[in-house]
Amino acid sequence: MPSLLLEIGCEELPAAACREAEAQLPELARAHVGAAASQLFVGPRRIGFLVDDLPERTADEWVKGPPENLRERAAAGFAKKHGVSVEELEVRDGFLGVTVPGRELREVLPEQIDRIVRGFSFTKSMRWDASGMRFARPVRWVLAMLDAETILGETSFGHRFTHGPVEIPNAAAYADQLRAADVEPVADERRRQIVEGLDVVGGWRDPGGKLAEVVHLVEKPIVLESRFDERFLQLPERVVVTTMQSHQRYFPIEGNRFALVANGGEADVVAAGHTQVLEARLEDATFTFERDVATGIDALAERLGSITFFAAAGSFAEKADRVAKLARRLGGGEASLEAARLAKADQASELVREFPELEGYIGAEYARLAGYPDAVTKAVEEQYLPDSAGGPLPQTEPGKVLAAADKLDTLRVAFELGHRPSGSRDPYGLRRAAIGLVRLALEGGLTIDRELLPEDVREFVEERLESLLNVPVEYVRAARASTASDLGAVARRAEELYGERESPEFEGVYTAFDRAHRLAGKAQEAAAAELDRGLLVEDAEKALAEALAKVAIDGNGDLKAALQSGAELAPVMERFFDEVLVMAEDEAVRANRLRLLLDVRDTLGALGDFSQIPR
Amino acid sequence: MIIALERYWADYGCVLMQPYHTELAAGTMNPNTFLRCLGPKPWNVAYVEPVIRPLDGRYGENPFRFQHYFQYQVVLKPAPENVLDLYWASLEALGIDLRRHDMRLVEDDWEQPTLGAWGLGWEVWCDGMEITQWTYFQQLGGFDVELVPAEMTYGLERLAMFLQGKRTAFELEWARGVTWGDVYREAEREWSRYNFEEAPVEVLTRRFDEYEAECRHLLERGLSLPAYDQVLKCSHTFNLLDARGAISVTERAAYIGRVRRLARGVAEAYLGADEEDAVAAA
Repeated sequence: MPSLLLEIGCEELPAAACREAEAQLPELARAHVGAAASQLFVGPRRIGFLVDDLPERTADEWVKGPPENLRERAAAGFAKKHGVSVEELEVRDGFLGVTVPGRELREVLPEQIDRIVRGFSFTKSMRWDASGMRFARPVRWVLAMLDAETILGETSFGHRFTHGPVEIPNAAAYADQLRAADVEPVADERRRQIVEGLDVVGGWRDPGGKLAEVVHLVEKPIVLESRFDERFLQLPERVVVTTMQSHQRYFPIEGNRFALVANGGEADVVAAGHTQVLEARLEDATFTFERDVATGIDALAERLGSITFFAAAGSFAEKADRVAKLARRLGGGEASLEAARLAKADQASELVREFPELEGYIGAEYARLAGYPDAVTKAVEEQYLPDSAGGPLPQTEPGKVLAAADKLDTLRVAFELGHRPSGSRDPYGLRRAAIGLVRLALEGGLTIDRELLPEDVREFVEERLESLLNVPVEYVRAARASTASDLGAVARRAEELYGERESPEFEGVYTAFDRAHRLAGKAQEAAAAELDRGLLVEDAEKALAEALAKVAIDGNGDLKAALQSGAELAPVMERFFDEVLVMAEDEAVRANRLRLLLDVRDTLGALGDFSQIPR
Repeated sequence: MIIALERYWADYGCVLMQPYHTELAAGTMNPNTFLRCLGPKPWNVAYVEPVIRPLDGRYGENPFRFQHYFQYQVVLKPAPENVLDLYWASLEALGIDLRRHDMRLVEDDWEQPTLGAWGLGWEVWCDGMEITQWTYFQQLGGFDVELVPAEMTYGLERLAMFLQGKRTAFELEWARGVTWGDVYREAEREWSRYNFEEAPVEVLTRRFDEYEAECRHLLERGLSLPAYDQVLKCSHTFNLLDARGAISVTERAAYIGRVRRLARGVAEAYLGADEEDAVAAA
């Protein structure tokens, strides 16, 4: 059975479009030619595939028509529609129908291919001519071959500048013919060649993750090594690396060496050209850096009043003030407060306007150059940590305080403005901020008072605990309802409750809470506002009130001790339920008894909402 | 270099135009691109455009940033199928051997919110240097283009640096024995002072309002071309105010919106006039 080659020739596609095409190709092949591609070709100037063993004919198809009992009314119309006589109609399972014979592959391929070419869906697409067709960039040719037979188009095309049209003798020879014309059509092979070339140079790094893009910036990768003038090593290293990666997609090696991936040309000419461009960029970065330094971090901080934090949330100057207040409430000392004042100053710098990814880092550098102590500069540098779910935490105390204050402020402001994340949409990175905040409390040991979080923010942040703690969610939910006063204490409470779940004290408290909650929880409105000791009649209820008064529970304290104290209620409760009828006839007595039970529940509830925990 | 480009694109059949007479932040804003790219009439044009970007001035100290520089602008509407080949051949006409160098098209999508315009394209790299911005327009003035034009904007200083092997624009040989620095450096110094320090904020704020009012008035009279000049003046006035640091972030969005509405009004009027012509011709 024959092999089918499809090649869609394009003007240079963006890397993102190449990745989208790569993801969609297998399904498009399956849907429209009914077979799996054995090889994909994806690159800047061509997208395509090879399918082996395609059947020569498409399968026969049974088209079901009207039910047989409607033969007189509907048969003629149905037969006419399918170009057969009424006599030729067949009957299957009580229905009339017709077998449409499969078609010659050669006959159907042009339509199938057209459907594939039009079947891509790109995030960004364009029109380029009167056909109105849309694609990521203009499509300039389509070549389809069935073994040695050309179905569509005439030739392929080789490397843009070294080769013109390339004859493809048969579908299976496609890749090799292109390789001879300076084009590697298989993306994985280009990646392999690039990595191999970089490994030969050695010591390469890719902190900005540019490799995936570079694979789709070249058809014939050539890895070259070069050096830039050593005087640029005086710039902070990250500035050099960012200049190299963000504009030019180069790979830094140590010192003044770097590697680049070209698409052709004479090696020495190309390397010299790229080096000159990089030096010009570094020169420009030097000017920018020096201007920022000459302005100074303090003057930059004063300019924050005119830069918006985000729409309707005031300026960065206002944010800095709020962050400083939060830092103080988080127990931050002088260094944290100083750092809070300077933290966002680099938003006013020219370098951050140019390279947003340098925020924090470059502010710290400017603070250092202005003579601020390490405690301050380190905190400025660490303010965005942790910047990913598993990323490292700040190492210094002021850094932790500043990082937490910054995230807290972002969350508070965003929620206030109604920017709550929904589904996968989280443009302000609020989930990351919430996880960061929780990790600063859990792993960083920072005391983050729950009162600092408005209710909706608190809910959102504490929900993160459910996935971060290695405890069943019910215990986390129980602990969230406790009176623990800070995030870390909530987490410890959840872990302790889970740890104690089998102890007799836990059992005692659980049962007391549970019985009180079951009976009185739903009768809250019928309960008295306060317990009236004068209305206690029975001995058992007096005993319960007395026992309750002796229970000492500290929401933040040692759980074991609290459970022991609480468990004292268990036998008294048992007697109470044996001897006292809560739902007494006298309304005042009944209301008082309900209140007594609610007091039991709420006193024990300081340890957590036990009703969340299934038994 | 300019002469070589003029000859090449004139031979192709482009109308050669001269720079526009008021400050523009890009060759795209010249009515020979912005307005002519609207509507159903084919149009091929090439011209040099001095661009003025007050915010980019660096007092002539930074050899890579200026508030005044030159673009060579080519527009082919509609874009012919071989438009990229035509472009590459123009580089050969400048003496660039495409086989010796690493030539690449790197994704660079273009958007100009003040003009309600966007397109998809590339920056053209020659050994890593961006020498041209290349765009297929999709929308102008908020309207989908009828014939998709290709816009090629050559950065003349960059291209010259590459051809002359010079490290900075200051060293470029502008004529025999005369450098770019000799010709323009003092201007950079003075204009940077004007743009950042001296431009009169109150006067400019008032002028912006006046240009806007005049634009609306002209649009009412159906004079789209003079109205478009007011849009350009508004845009430049806004850029000057921006350089003076006189526009807060909230005001900024409002100013951009005002210019965009004017540009849309002009595009609408221009398209209307275009249709009337077509009807008259029929």
